[in-house]
Amino acid sequence: MSDDSVPLALPLPRLAAGSAEVAALYRQLRKPLLRYLACLGLTSDEAQDVVQDTFLSLQRHLASGGDQENIRGWVFRVAHNLARNRQTSYHRRYGETLDGGKDFPAQVATPEQVVLEKEKLRRFAAAIHLLAKSERECLLLRAAGLRYREIGEVLGIATSTVGDTVERAMKKLAEKCNVRCSRQTRRLA
Amino acid sequence: MCDVQGKLVAWLDRELTPEEAGAVERHVEGCHECRRLVATYERVSQTLDAYCDGVMAAKAPRQTRWVPVLAGALIAATAVCVAFVRTRVVPPAVVEPTIPVASAPLPGPHVAGPVLHKPTIRRPHPAPHIRELARQEQPMDAAIQIAIPAEAMFPPGAVPDGINFIVDLRIAPDGSVKQVSLRQ
Repeated sequence: MSDDSVPLALPLPRLAAGSAEVAALYRQLRKPLLRYLACLGLTSDEAQDVVQDTFLSLQRHLASGGDQENIRGWVFRVAHNLARNRQTSYHRRYGETLDGGKDFPAQVATPEQVVLEKEKLRRFAAAIHLLAKSERECLLLRAAGLRYREIGEVLGIATSTVGDTVERAMKKLAEKCNVRCSRQTRRLA
Repeated sequence: MCDVQGKLVAWLDRELTPEEAGAVERHVEGCHECRRLVATYERVSQTLDAYCDGVMAAKAPRQTRWVPVLAGALIAATAVCVAFVRTRVVPPAVVEPTIPVASAPLPGPHVAGPVLHKPTIRRPHPAPHIRELARQEQPMDAAIQIAIPAEAMFPPGAVPDGINFIVDLRIAPDGSVKQVSLRQ
């Protein structure tokens, strides 16, 4: 695997605290950050607070002349740690089903498709819940658009370990989805 | 099981070196099993994206729909106003204060005049001191004229017949006689 063969999605120039680049970075990373924090189990308000605190930390980091290598990984790592600190009962909340029992908003039109889509996402949530914590975090960070090197920096693990973990987690999810699909097919038949 | 199966996700994520990616791509083109796996991984990735979007949307604060809220508030305010106006409209039992003139002979000098009835109109006063001033100006303090025949006060023959004495009585708010003044 290559660590630096693929350039980062943010080829940013030298950042300065309060500069337009930081504002652009905020606009680009806000939604992926919120999505990742929501999947970690934070509420909407908590996720908003964490994002704000993260970018305040970024301002201080830049103002103090901090390292600007892999700034996106840095932002996600700070947000990840803030989320962990904020969750008073992290393991309990993390152990819950990630959907929190809420209904997923359906993007499809017909009632049958709505039901099928909700059911599919509910089963997928249960499958994600069965993954190991590191596998789940790797997958969620990957879904947020981070490269393996950035994921490794956020979680403090090697890039090769990230690749293996993602591969293993995807294989588990694929097997569970295939088993469920085949069971559904047999039941319908 | 193919050797490249452990690199398929990394290949999809473009995390391989160009040489590794080229080798995997050539293998996948000719391997039905790996193509099926790639399709499965792509489907799982799409489902994961949909799942993350769903979690975020489910946790987003719901926007309050103001139209039914405002309509309900308007209906409630209207009902309260109607009920309030109905309770405030009290038919005023206006009774004109009458000043009775007693022409009949009284048994004694102490005569308690009739209590004047002030019309009861429920009208809140704007301030306590104004309410106190209004209470002091009640006509309970007004003079009541009564006529006392002279025969009731003097022995017969001492004064000519048909002479009456007019007395002004001032009644205190508690109902007692505050002042008695003889006018004739």
